[in-house]
Amino acid sequence: MQQTLPAVFADRNSIESDVWHKDIRFEKKGIYLIEAASGTGKSSLCNFIYGYRKDYQGIINFNTDNIRSYKIKQWVEIRKHSISMLFQDMRLFTELTAMENILLKNNLTHFKSKKEIVSFFEAMGIADKLDSKVGRLSFGQQQRVAFIRSLCQPFDFIFLDEPVSHLDDTNGEIMGGILMDEASKQGAGIIVTSIGKHITLPYTETLKL
Amino acid sequence: MKLLWKLLRQHISIGQLTGFFLANLFGMSIVLLSIQFYKDVIPVFTEGDSFMKKEYLIVTKKISAIGSFAGKTNTFSEDELKSLQEQRFSKDVGAFTPSQFKVSAGFGMKEAGISLSTEMFFESVPNKFVDVSLDKWHFDKESRSIPIIIPRSYLNLYNFGFAQSRSLPKLSEGVMGLIQMDIVIKGNGRLEQYKGNIVGFSNRLNTILVPEDFMKWANNEFADENKPQPVRLIVEVDNPADDGIARYFQEKGYEAENDKLDAGKTTYFLRLITGIVMGVGLFISILSFYILMLSIFLLLQKNTVKLESLLLIGYSPAKVAIPYQVLTLGLNLIVLALSIGIVMYMRGMYTEVLTQLFPQMEMSIMWPAYVAGIILFSLVSVINIIAIRKKIASIWLHKS
Repeated sequence: MQQTLPAVFADRNSIESDVWHKDIRFEKKGIYLIEAASGTGKSSLCNFIYGYRKDYQGIINFNTDNIRSYKIKQWVEIRKHSISMLFQDMRLFTELTAMENILLKNNLTHFKSKKEIVSFFEAMGIADKLDSKVGRLSFGQQQRVAFIRSLCQPFDFIFLDEPVSHLDDTNGEIMGGILMDEASKQGAGIIVTSIGKHITLPYTETLKL
Repeated sequence: MKLLWKLLRQHISIGQLTGFFLANLFGMSIVLLSIQFYKDVIPVFTEGDSFMKKEYLIVTKKISAIGSFAGKTNTFSEDELKSLQEQRFSKDVGAFTPSQFKVSAGFGMKEAGISLSTEMFFESVPNKFVDVSLDKWHFDKESRSIPIIIPRSYLNLYNFGFAQSRSLPKLSEGVMGLIQMDIVIKGNGRLEQYKGNIVGFSNRLNTILVPEDFMKWANNEFADENKPQPVRLIVEVDNPADDGIARYFQEKGYEAENDKLDAGKTTYFLRLITGIVMGVGLFISILSFYILMLSIFLLLQKNTVKLESLLLIGYSPAKVAIPYQVLTLGLNLIVLALSIGIVMYMRGMYTEVLTQLFPQMEMSIMWPAYVAGIILFSLVSVINIIAIRKKIASIWLHKS
């Protein structure tokens, strides 16, 4: 990222940040924590990198490609194979069951077997919610379903936007374990954002937004 | 795909889609039916003379009571012919050559105990005015068979007069073509038998037409008189509605025989009426198409968040569009199939009446309806598909 800044911040005089208006690199296998107060552009950052929004200044490169020039087709491939995103608002489909939500993603990538998915559910302690409509699950349970979904694809980087905001510490730790496991299996980088409570991981770098 | 459909079918309004379905079915049926009906009926008025050059007039001199008594001739002289030839409107002029010998023709089926025989006459026009393929329109001395074009009214006379009164089978044009006539030619103290083959029917030529080469030969063989003066001319014109023609004819005292106008008027009105009906049908179709688009857009709008989420978890816009495209395509396809069914049924009803009126009419496969239906279907479907694609692309760009 070179001198990147959300367009809405452009009129601010001074920006004190480890990310905005700086040149930074995220490396594979690195584990990054981005700490931010709310309103500092944390979700914006995720959206920029995920190709969802383009209202920023500066340049964001994947390797050497400027992502601004990516076509829809390339973004679709990136979202399927390169970058996994756990959205802050999760973007689950409330009228489908937990399992259907996962399958909707996994049918696209065919990355995990049904057995693996079920074992994730068991590990996260929500095995009994497999066939419940997501709309009926609590926020914490939904967060876990969304997390499992984000693992159902190959990735170079996984972004987790406030993954544990509604989880207790035990579940947070279980999630951290699974995450480390999956990421190291693929040699991928992890980027976690947080506004306070954060998942315990052996972070290689902590950035203040 | 099943999951995708389960997710996206929410908010589908059965009422709106039914509205579209019925309206489009109604509109499409009207359009297809009017096209099919037009195509079925129009040959009765126009295509009867397909073997003649398109635009021609048959010219005679007026026969008036005084003229006949005064012994005024009604033949055309060489000069008059030349003058007509030189007119701006005429492309080509040919003379009718009458037979100078006696002809009687009969046809019958001995098995059925029917035999019709009548005194006749022949006429010929130059070959360039006749559009029958040359191998058919040729007299062969060896086989002694003469190709003949007769007025369609003769066939009607038989079908509605003779056959009706004796409860004989009605004959179509196709069957007539298979029947051979016995032709006896008398003249110069000789009497010879030939076979006649009907190769065509004419609505406009009130004569029995034989090939020019036969006429020349027969006039030589069976008559010794000099070349007869023509009483009728055939004139090929660019535009029969040219007012120059009427003026010239008036001035010279000529008459155009059974003018083309009648058939022209009928087809004009037929065209006008089917045009109006088709227009109404198209209008209904367009409106129904509009309902469909509105309904689909509303559906997309209601599902925007879901579509956006799908795009974010890696679904391509094309893939997300598929359920909606399949939905519209399916609906359009059902409408197409049903409306073709309706047209078939309706056609069955009107052909019964039509074949009663015009036994010579032969009903073919309803290509016009199929072709028009498929064109309409493809057009509507392509627009649907593109519109849905654009809408989803705009969701990708968060324009909605």
